[in-house]
Amino acid sequence: MKTDDLIAALAADTLPQPTVAHRLARSFPVALAICVAAFIAFWGTRPDLSAALASASVLKTVLPALLAVLAGAGVMALAHPGMRTDRRLGVIGLFIGALAVVLVVYLARGGVAGVVMALTKPSLLICLVSIPLLGLPLLVAILWSLSTGAVLRPRLTGAIAGLMAGGVSAAVYSAYCDTDMVLYVILAYGAAILSVAAIGALAGPRLLRW
Amino acid sequence: MLSVAVTFAGRAANRDQTLQTKDPWEDLMRAAIRGDTVAYRQLLQAISPVLRRVVQARGGGLGQDACEDVLQDVLLAIHTKRHTWVETAPLRPWLYAIARHKVVDAFRARGRRVEVAIDDFADGLAAPQGPDPLEGRDIERLLGGLDPRAAEIVRGFGLRGETTAETAARLGMTEGAVRVALHRALRTLAQMRERMIE
Repeated sequence: MKTDDLIAALAADTLPQPTVAHRLARSFPVALAICVAAFIAFWGTRPDLSAALASASVLKTVLPALLAVLAGAGVMALAHPGMRTDRRLGVIGLFIGALAVVLVVYLARGGVAGVVMALTKPSLLICLVSIPLLGLPLLVAILWSLSTGAVLRPRLTGAIAGLMAGGVSAAVYSAYCDTDMVLYVILAYGAAILSVAAIGALAGPRLLRW
Repeated sequence: MLSVAVTFAGRAANRDQTLQTKDPWEDLMRAAIRGDTVAYRQLLQAISPVLRRVVQARGGGLGQDACEDVLQDVLLAIHTKRHTWVETAPLRPWLYAIARHKVVDAFRARGRRVEVAIDDFADGLAAPQGPDPLEGRDIERLLGGLDPRAAEIVRGFGLRGETTAETAARLGMTEGAVRVALHRALRTLAQMRERMIE
């Protein structure tokens, strides 16, 4: 087939392709509903939820949710060539960097004993398993939506998609988790969210090819 | 304060640039996205020589036929990803990013590593000029893999230069069905090429 003939056939196809935003608007609410339904069925909220949300531990919910918003802005830029990604990715870097600084301060203050105390909480394993589990349907929805975009850096995009999914699922999970120690929250939530990012980074090159 | 000033200066510079270089391709693409097939065809025909030059310059050793296959890969990718252009942004950075990605990918599928820079497209690389519109061979093979009616519809627009109404009348289908069948066939072609690359 001649290139000119192919061009004629391409030009005749006027049906629009689904956009990333379109697919996200369709799939994300479904995935979030699955995530929340599973949470209510198998986890449930902590008894003192309203008191916790009125205290500083509301940050356990707000910060992961904020990370999800920043990551969402990042993947949208990454799926649309020509859009600037540096600033959006830079903000995500700053966010993670700021939390790393807080972590270092608390590590210095608490020493080894503090880390041991934080990580011997029985809820640690539950947290490390729950956040990725709850995030999985979200990650699937986000990657499916992004696959209609034109992702040029699939591994990075998959990882940021994982931050978005993990951020949302951590925000949901925080309604169950009643361990409010700063060291614990940063280490456990951080590791759990990063593990979702790692899954995204592994899946990205496979699912975001075009 | 400084960052505000820098941002402001950056915006002003951007605006100057857009004022200076009003890209005719952008108007064509906007019209194309609204369903203007004439504008879209014009755009793809204008883009092709630019892409062909880069493909031939970077993969010259591959032979002109294979280069034309790569060009057709790129055109299919531009088509199936055209909705990822953000209309408020300039078209060419988007276009060249798509083309670069696909050229590298297509050469990799043919066992070659090529380095393509975005500037290659903008500079209009000089390449050995062959007889233009060349034939793509891969696409024939892929058309053979489609169901016969879908392939017939793609060929109808291409070889016969039919309109949607003419194809519909010849095949006894509604125009809507022809549109959907063409859309699906092109998407399948793009996916088959992708699978070929893996």
